[in-house]
This record gives sequence, C-alpha cells and structure tokens, in this order.
Amino acid sequence: MSDRNPLCRYLLRPALPADLAALERLAHASAIGISSLPSNRAALQDKLERSAHAFASEDDDATGEEIYLFVLEDLARGGAIIGTSGIEASPGFHDRFYSYRNEFIVQVSPELGTRNRIHTLHLCHDLTGVSLLTGFHIDPAYAKGLAPQLLSRARLLFIAQCAERFSDRIASENPGPADDMGGCPFWDAVGRRFFDMDYPSAEALTSGRNKAYIAELMPQSPIYVPLLDEPAQWALGQLHAVGELPFSILLDEGFEADTYINIYDGGPTVEGRLQTLKSVRRARRRPSQAGALQAGARWQLVSNGRRRDFRAVLLPADTAATLTLDEASAAALALRIGEPVLAAALDWAAPAGDEEAA
Amino acid sequence: MKPSSLRVRAVSAADLAPCNGGLRSLLPADTDAALPTPESGEQWLLVERLGVDGGRPLACLRLRAGIGLQAPRHWYHVGCVVHAAKPLRLFHRQSTLLLGSDHAGASELADLCWARAGLSLAEQAAALHLLLRGALLQLAEQRAAHGSTLIIELPGQRDSEGRSPFWQGLGRHFYAGDVVGDTAGLVARHGRDWRALVAVLLPRQPVYASFLPTATQAAIGQVDASAELLLDLLASEGLAYDHHIGIIDGGPVFSACIDRLPAINAAQR
Repeated sequence: MSDRNPLCRYLLRPALPADLAALERLAHASAIGISSLPSNRAALQDKLERSAHAFASEDDDATGEEIYLFVLEDLARGGAIIGTSGIEASPGFHDRFYSYRNEFIVQVSPELGTRNRIHTLHLCHDLTGVSLLTGFHIDPAYAKGLAPQLLSRARLLFIAQCAERFSDRIASENPGPADDMGGCPFWDAVGRRFFDMDYPSAEALTSGRNKAYIAELMPQSPIYVPLLDEPAQWALGQLHAVGELPFSILLDEGFEADTYINIYDGGPTVEGRLQTLKSVRRARRRPSQAGALQAGARWQLVSNGRRRDFRAVLLPADTAATLTLDEASAAALALRIGEPVLAAALDWAAPAGDEEAA
Repeated sequence: MKPSSLRVRAVSAADLAPCNGGLRSLLPADTDAALPTPESGEQWLLVERLGVDGGRPLACLRLRAGIGLQAPRHWYHVGCVVHAAKPLRLFHRQSTLLLGSDHAGASELADLCWARAGLSLAEQAAALHLLLRGALLQLAEQRAAHGSTLIIELPGQRDSEGRSPFWQGLGRHFYAGDVVGDTAGLVARHGRDWRALVAVLLPRQPVYASFLPTATQAAIGQVDASAELLLDLLASEGLAYDHHIGIIDGGPVFSACIDRLPAINAAQR
C-alpha cells in the first residue's frame, strides 16, 4: 500500500464481522460511560451482524431499528483500523428515548420586588424517533489530524444519500463530566438518589436492557436546578474531556447544544435538522474524471453514493463540475472513474506539499 | 392552680387598651392586634387566670371561617410516589411536596399564642386545653357559618440559631428575603397576607424531597420544640397531621372533619 497517494489517506467503510478484534481493541480503550460499543465479544459480534444486515437490507425491509457501524482505515498503514462511528436510525423506535429539556421559568412578585429566572429540567421524549449519531472512537494518535473529520462528517453524507431510512432530525449524545472512579456529579445529584448506586453500576445493571428502563424510575416532574448541589449545577451541559473532539465537529456542522441534556450524566445532547447541517448543505453530486489529486485545493468529503458498499474518503479537489480522482482514490472508493460521487467541501485546504495537514 | 380558676372569653377593646399590658405582652410583634369586625365572622378568644393576679391573659387564638377565599393561602401537600422495578430489585418510596391551596374554605385556629413565663408545662397545657375547648364550643354554636374542615398550622422546626432548616433548603432558593427572622418587617411592609406573595415565587411543580438537604427533609412536618406541647392536646381533641405543611418553615398542619370532632358532637347533643 506504500504506493497510496498521501493526499487520500483515510477510508471510511461499513464495519464487517471480520473487524471484531479491531473494534474490541477500540472498545477496551474507551473510558467509563463513554462507550456505546459493548465490551463483551458476543454483544459486539451481535452488533456487527445487525449492522451488516442494515447496510445490506432492501429499503422496503428497513424498519427504523437499524444500526450502522463504520470503521476508519489508515491506508498508509495497510488499512489498519483507527476509528469507528455509528448511526442508529430511530432510537427509541419501540420505546421512548428520554432526555432532559432545559427550560426556564420566570416568576415575578412586583410586591416583593423580586424576579426569579429558574432553570428547570423537564424529562421528555422529544427525541424519540430522531436518528442518532453514536459511538465515535478514534485512536488518540490520529485525534489531531483530518481523520476525525472524515469519521464524523461522512455519516451525514450517508444519511443524506439514504434519507428515506432516517429522520430529518439528527441528534447525538455527548458524555458529561465523570472521573475514573465512577464519580459523575450529575448522576450523583440526580440518578443516584433514586438508585443508590454509582453510574458504572447502574449502567452495568441495565446493560442489555433499554436505557429507558432506568428513565422510568427517575422523577417525572421537573427538576429545579437551584436545588441541586453546586458540582451538579456546574456539570449541566458540560463535556467530559474525551467528548470535546466529536462535540466540536458537530457544533461546526451546525448542531444546536442548548436544549437537551443526557438524563444520566448531564452531558449535552446536540440536535439539528439534516438539511441545515454544513456537510449536507454543501454536498453535491458530481461526475468524476481521471487526473492527479490537486495539492493545495480544498479538502472534499467524497462518498461513492452507495449504501451496501459505502465508501468515503477525504481528498483535495477544486469546485469544478467534475471531480478529479486518481487511480488510488478511485480504488479506495470502489468506483470506476467516470461514475458520479457525492462531495462536500471542508473548510480547510490541503497543504501544497506532500505531508498531511496538521 | 386548679382549672376552675381559668376562664375563656372573647377579647374585648378593654383588653387592648394601652394601659392594660396583659394581652399585648402576650402577642408576638408580627401578630394582628386588631379586634375582629362583626362582619368578618372571626372570633378572638382568650383564656385568663382569675384570682391572685387579677385576670392575667394566659393564651389567645382566633377562630376564622372560610380562610383563603379572599386572599389566597398556600400549603405544601406532602405526597408519596413509589418507583419500583422488580427485575432490578429496586423499590423506592419518595416524598413529594406540591404547592397548593387545598384548605381554601376551611376554618382555622389562627394566631395561637400563650404565656410561658412562670407557668409549668401542666399549667400551660391546662390553659391551652380550655382555649381549644372554648373555640370548639364557638364553632359548634355557629356551625352553619363554617365549612367541613378545621385546621391549625403549627410552627415548624428552628435550629439553635433560630433559622428554619426547611426554608434554608427549599424556599431560600426562590426568595432571598428573611421570611423567618423578619416576619414583623414583612407584615409591616406587605400586610398580614405576605405569605401569599412569597408563594408566587415558590416551585409550582412537585418537588421530590430527596433533592433537598438531609436537614430540610427531616424538618418536613416537624413541629418546633417550643410548640410540642400542642401535639397531644390537638390529638386528644381529634385533630391530626394531614400531610400538609407550612410553606415557610415546613411546620405540620393538623386538621379534622368538624362534624367528627368529639367536642362538637357533645355540644350538639
């Protein structure tokens, strides 16, 4: 693979059952409370099979229960798997998907000269049936480069090209503050009062069950935030450090982070309309032509527009009607040159030299 | 002191004359010291000791009908929810507080105060018992003027510095004023119905007690030590805690169905 063009280094594709070992490695490396990858082999295998079935299923058979798992390859390292991400078509499809919605109540007493703006959290099912971006994991060695951009944003191209399988509202949960000892300020102030156990124990207890199971045991009336202890108030809508990278990419896409929070750890759940997201707005269907990749041009998120055999890469290209591919990138996309692609520009240009942008 | 040396009667203008310090010295600064108007239907009763010190007032209270119908009154209802999940072996019973005006229209034994100085607990209890009986007799005589329920709000727990653990953990987050220490100032500025102004600022949705500090939870429905004497007296007359508490200090509300009170039944036979 050493003949690979360094300007087309990363490839996103559907995860396969053969990727089990690589995914296990990524799952074990992830922190408490962050992973949506099951850490036991059988559950992971099951998830891979469900995903393979989802990619292969006919549109008429799609029920909304599908999950789609992707893996990211480093082509410069022989296709080593360096990251994974996923989509759940309609979370809570057969049940409810719980969030807390931020609301503010203003109570006024002219007589007492007092005006209160009280932050409250309302348990809601607003995001039931909304498609969910899930399980973003990347090998830390690649966190600073372009790889995370492809790993996160290409999912939006996939959703846009298979729009009938997804909601037009997209959401993503982001981990709230927690420490390695299982302490989680929001859970400790809220969930723990109803469960007498720390967050990892509650997660383990409900593993394999729908998380809605826990939610049904939580208080159904609004939580008055001023009644929570200070660490919990501070943690509301805050991010765990491991969530900063995927969160920043989603904010750049135009997701909104102020309305919903996760009912367990208080992390922000971002939400947006598919058509308003940056990569979807910019996506254009373009025919391809043969040529050398243009160092110095804008990075383009490029997918082959297929579902079952989905492929997406990043490569530099101008904005001409026809997108120029070299043999290596066409091979990575599993395309014959001349076939159309779906492309969306990123905000950065590829360096004029051979080295990857930092 | 024999009970026969005590007398219950209506408060008169003479009791409030400036030269007559007896009743005024009994009233806390924030308590209404005006005679009820005839049209209010309110009764103001006192118990005095006859004999040695020439009619010293020992206790007084007001009997009011139809409370909360002119100016709103508020209480928290202390409710219970059960969160159960058999497969998880979880069974949680939780208390909730819900702000409301459940006792609007009830009759009330209000502004109860009594002398402690120089009186044994038994003497205080005797005076209070007579006062309570006197009020219930008034109620029986004017039965038609009253609804179905009689309530009394008892003072809630105070800590050693006079603060209310209930207010500290709940109300304080919604109104910054000193509603426990400066009630006289609140009455002076906003009138006797100032609590209704505070209620406007309090949470309208049920509050799970488990979100409150331990001391606040413990103060729910707890009577202050200074008024514990009343618990047995009220119970013996047929009033009981009814899962409502005061919105300021969380003191318990005792109530009864008027027609089931033994004193009312005895008076009506």
